[in-house]
Amino acid sequence: MKFIIQRDQLIESVQDVMKAISSRTVIPILTGMKIEARQHGITLTGSDSDISIESYIPAEDNGIVNVEQIEEGNVVLHAKYFPDIVRKLPEKTVELEVDESLKVTIRSGKAEFNLNGQDAEEYPHLPKLQTDDSFEMPTDLLKSLIKQTVFAVSTMETRPILTGVHFKLENNTLNFTATDSHRLASREIPIKEGQSELPSVVVPGKSLNELNKILDDTEEMVEISVTNNQILFRTKHLNFLSRLLDGNYPETSRLIPDHSKTVIHVKTKELLSTIDRASLLAKEERNNVVRLTTKGDQLVEITSNSPEVGTVAEEVNVQSIEGEELKISFSSKYMIDALKAIEYEEVKIEFTGAMRPFIIRPANDDPITQLILPVRTY
Amino acid sequence: MKTWSEVAEVQPLASKIITNSIKKDRISHAYLLQGERGTGKEAIALLITKGLFCEHKQGIEPCQECNACKRIASGNHPDVHWIIPDGQSIKIEQIRNLQREFTYSGLESNKKVYIIKGADTLTLNAANRILKFLEEPSKQTIAIMLTENSQSIIPTIRSRCQVIDLQPLNPVLFEQQLTEQGMGGKDAILMGALTNNLDEAFLLNQDTRFATARSLVVQLIETFSDHPEDVFLFIHSRWVPHFKERNEQEQGLDLLLLACKDILYFHIGNEEAMVFFASDDTLLEKAAMSFSQEKLVDALNAILQAKRNLKQNVNPTLVIEQLTLQIQG
Repeated sequence: MKFIIQRDQLIESVQDVMKAISSRTVIPILTGMKIEARQHGITLTGSDSDISIESYIPAEDNGIVNVEQIEEGNVVLHAKYFPDIVRKLPEKTVELEVDESLKVTIRSGKAEFNLNGQDAEEYPHLPKLQTDDSFEMPTDLLKSLIKQTVFAVSTMETRPILTGVHFKLENNTLNFTATDSHRLASREIPIKEGQSELPSVVVPGKSLNELNKILDDTEEMVEISVTNNQILFRTKHLNFLSRLLDGNYPETSRLIPDHSKTVIHVKTKELLSTIDRASLLAKEERNNVVRLTTKGDQLVEITSNSPEVGTVAEEVNVQSIEGEELKISFSSKYMIDALKAIEYEEVKIEFTGAMRPFIIRPANDDPITQLILPVRTY
Repeated sequence: MKTWSEVAEVQPLASKIITNSIKKDRISHAYLLQGERGTGKEAIALLITKGLFCEHKQGIEPCQECNACKRIASGNHPDVHWIIPDGQSIKIEQIRNLQREFTYSGLESNKKVYIIKGADTLTLNAANRILKFLEEPSKQTIAIMLTENSQSIIPTIRSRCQVIDLQPLNPVLFEQQLTEQGMGGKDAILMGALTNNLDEAFLLNQDTRFATARSLVVQLIETFSDHPEDVFLFIHSRWVPHFKERNEQEQGLDLLLLACKDILYFHIGNEEAMVFFASDDTLLEKAAMSFSQEKLVDALNAILQAKRNLKQNVNPTLVIEQLTLQIQG
């Protein structure tokens, strides 16, 4: 195997792939980075077995030659040394050559490194996902879907399935749902006609956070496809694979109440900063509890009380209050997370009594749903 | 031992139980393989695992050549998880990571295997944590636990596994193998008493540290019989500096145990059974003069107790000091 490559291109790809490589892996081969040379381009692969990232450098892109003199082959290089070497090489191009005994020679200008490679056969075989069972969406939309749901996944390992986000594609709507059994975040978006059904899958929240970091805020399309074991997000030159969580996701649609007794319309920012202030005194022990009380039909009061520290009360003007009067306590942290996730100016909060979960939605009925369970106080 | 037929030569019963269940496609969800060193626990675990993943199985035998077989042998298969004691024991953290791993789908297939080496070293917490998981495995998960010390496995784990007992190797057969491969007769006998592993026996026989250890034991016995008042000095000037690592200390005690046993055999005229001394050794006669049979039995007990103490992390210098005092009695 042999090729000569533009160093900048290589650095960029190596950095992407390094995000998947962990030094604390139990499978020795995963401390390495797989390099695959084909006539049409070079593929780098890194994995920590939970997520895998493949970065592709085409030999020729829009008439610009990135890689030349390609002789096909595979090798696995130790990821502890290779990225640093590449970064510090002197010239604009890098030559990489592998002999039969897997000795790798890296040349650039007058610098020459000899590294011991490993056999690429030992590397895990990533599934070749079929492209016909897939759908597309813009990158920035995917990123906002992730941001609006992933914060609500559970961090406790007691119910592992809840550490993931549930993806469901039905009747041309894609639904993301995350819950830690105290709150729930979900969003639906329409998917273009004619794109196939997706088996309902649960993707680990950790993987989605990584994916969110790697993707750029562009309008380019991401292709998503699923097999039994893995989900693939494919952008132009990057493949992001994640393993799925095993098990059945709980049925969440029934949790969302379909009627309400009290509805409040309020400016997101005002409510957010009020609750943020009230939570300052609620940080101790008592789960950040704040209390919301309706006052007439234009005013709600947010209070918090921690006996050792002191109390806080603040009134907020709201657009409208419809329905019964209400006193309800809830976790300010959950409320802040939920309000931050809704990127709209005005929200509608629907309550069904002080002991029932309430829903926060954008005022314009965009299908984002944030559900929070209240806290029982005396 | 790379194939079932090779395993069958050494462990006929165990290999029959397992190969039959493979043939009938009734592999248990958890195995506990118990047997001494060198009885082939790892070989069997590897064979079971390869049998599950191999792409070109010939009957029950895995092909050993396909990609999956090769990667299992080199420890690089992503769906095979090895749990190896981290230091002295298997920590709860390792089990937690394993459990986390099992909430995910497999990387390449839907099958998963986890192999726990030295399952007796599971800390109590770790052992309890693994219980539920052993009992209710998710689909197609197989646990293989390996242990040398089956008594230390907590009963709640044992009852959840299919227990496979590996029979100890026949020392005579092993000695024959050693002599066939060119080891001297006397060395072969001693090695047969110390280890069950062919490669280890040869390695040990060529190790200079081991040779020194052997002569140190001879000198210790000599000092005991000639100048009992110097024993303490000898221990501190020679014994303690030489035996630094834990396994070396255990080996030293093993050698001392064999030596004392030989002296006892000399007393009762069972000279064929001796392993450490040659039967015409003059030291043997001298030692037999200074140690009575009764005293030897006490000494043997003391050595066994010392070995237990070492296992329980008692300071090694104190252990050997106490031992010499007890032997002098």
